[in-house]
Amino acid sequence: MKHKLLEHFAGIVFVTLALLAALWVVTVSVKAAERRQNAGMDQLGDLSFINFNSRFDLALLHDAINLYYPGRADRNDSLFNAIVKHKQREFTGRLQNTRVAEKLSWEKSAVVLGMYARFLLIYVLVMVLTYYGVQTLAAFRFVYKKRLAAAPGPSPARKFRRWLVSLLAGSGVFLLFCPAYVIAYSIRTEFNTDTAVFLVLLGVVSNGVLITYANKFYAFLVAESRKGYVATAMVKNLHAEYRFHGAGGISPASLFAPVKKFRGHVFDHIFINARGQYLSTIKEQASFLITGLIIIEMALNIHGYLNYEMLRQLLYKNYSIVAVIMLLIFYTVKMTEIYSDYLVYMDKRKYENKNQ
Amino acid sequence: MRIKISNIINNKDTRWISIWIIGSLSALFWDILFLNKPALNKVVTGFFNTFIIALLVVVFTLVLGWLVTLLLHSLQSRSNKAPYLMATFFLNLIRSVPQIVGVLFAYIGITLLVEGSVITTKAVVMVIMALCISVFIFLELVDLMRDRIDHFTRLDFYSAMRVCGIPEKRVINFDILWKNSRLHILNKLIAVLGYAVFLQCSVDFIISVGLSTDINESALPATLGSLLASIDSKQDVLAIGYTLTHPGYAGHLFFEHLQGMTVAFCIVFSLVSIYHIANGYAERHRL
Repeated sequence: MKHKLLEHFAGIVFVTLALLAALWVVTVSVKAAERRQNAGMDQLGDLSFINFNSRFDLALLHDAINLYYPGRADRNDSLFNAIVKHKQREFTGRLQNTRVAEKLSWEKSAVVLGMYARFLLIYVLVMVLTYYGVQTLAAFRFVYKKRLAAAPGPSPARKFRRWLVSLLAGSGVFLLFCPAYVIAYSIRTEFNTDTAVFLVLLGVVSNGVLITYANKFYAFLVAESRKGYVATAMVKNLHAEYRFHGAGGISPASLFAPVKKFRGHVFDHIFINARGQYLSTIKEQASFLITGLIIIEMALNIHGYLNYEMLRQLLYKNYSIVAVIMLLIFYTVKMTEIYSDYLVYMDKRKYENKNQ
Repeated sequence: MRIKISNIINNKDTRWISIWIIGSLSALFWDILFLNKPALNKVVTGFFNTFIIALLVVVFTLVLGWLVTLLLHSLQSRSNKAPYLMATFFLNLIRSVPQIVGVLFAYIGITLLVEGSVITTKAVVMVIMALCISVFIFLELVDLMRDRIDHFTRLDFYSAMRVCGIPEKRVINFDILWKNSRLHILNKLIAVLGYAVFLQCSVDFIISVGLSTDINESALPATLGSLLASIDSKQDVLAIGYTLTHPGYAGHLFFEHLQGMTVAFCIVFSLVSIYHIANGYAERHRL
């Protein structure tokens, strides 16, 4: 664990330094380009007293240049034109940037940190909901399949019910695989899609996160159920029936409970062992989930949210703010990785007696 | 012939390949009948561009994954561990960058290269786009291949082959990765195809909506993501919401809002199909 922590912190330091260096390089090169563009203009001194919208002032400037550099009319004309063009560029630049150019001031940092706090809150909520959803969906599917396998030959009514369930599940899969922007744009005219609640909902049900990891968890459950200890547990009289009601079965309440326990049932052990394997995929799931949340915020153009802000600042070339937002996202991923490694470490200490 | 068709239907992966092909062809047939020609051309081009890039991602992922796996294996077996630790450190850094952020910045870089006339043909743009996406995906394949190598090197057959004088290069490349892991690798590559489509559509959508539409249209090839972000398609998709409260309007969706509906359908239907193909393949081969 110490080795992993060291690697994570080294990664954080390295990326922070690399981003700051990149930011410095960009700032320096932008300034150098500006200097190249304005070459020679700074030697002309302060021209702020000239009104470049006044024909009289312009004519006065032209005459002053001719007086200052006598006998070189052509060069003076081009110098005059260059000054006028430079001033026009400066003016339009200022005009364009008044609403878009932003620096990383204390006020801006506070605004970005506020957005980050909201992003973190949404991320944690979505993570908790998907963690619960993945385990519940997979456990339900596993138990449902076991029940089907144990059921007697299907009657027409039962066949129809199964077909209906498959149809519903198929439609559900279609919805779960919809990219967030497709769902959001589909219902945008009738519902307000710019709220945090909707963002959380989309984060859970869209982009295929839930279905992909539920399927992974289900695969772990199936693999565990084929292992030898299951037969041993059954010989030792643990319950092994998967009906929903009655003694020895699995109650729906335990399947849908936030903390799932199936006391006295072999499924309890299958579930615990599968969850141990699932914990090591949490890192991957978190990265996928953050990718999904970024897509949602950016694609829906939700004002005042962290990732939309990053996209906006990128468009306006305010790179210092972009760098800070990127660092915050990177730290979030790293913190999740550290937490996930810690969970796996604790799980191994508990069940495998390993002190890695 | 009958046996072959029943095989296709009984196996989940082949069944879903058929469903995908038939579904896509049906959508194309419907579009030929009811969608105007310029929009139809756009949709067909977008569909092909998307899948060409996604297939290129799969190829690059395979090549990068295989090479990096071999590199890591060779570094790991050296007595000096420093290069191995450095390599894993940098690879883990790539892993910690959310893919969408990495790909988004790569796409912006590509746009700048195109605008600066460093890249002039769309084919080269597509290859570079695929390469950029695969850089953020290939580590999944590396993990799988390294797991397989770790698993087999712990078995007796590895030591036995080494004792027989078979070079390690051959044991790893041929006996472990090709002979004993190619089904796992293929299954992972099918999943990569789906993820590549998803990432690519999402980034194209974000760039088209959030950054400049002009830049995207001139610099990057049309894909399903950028098509969905176009104003026509967005209006079409917005019509679905209207249908929720005015069910009588549903019929209009398939005639008057066909461009957006087709693009959205192609994205979602492809993702669902690829997911089922990968699952079915894993089930059939008990992976």
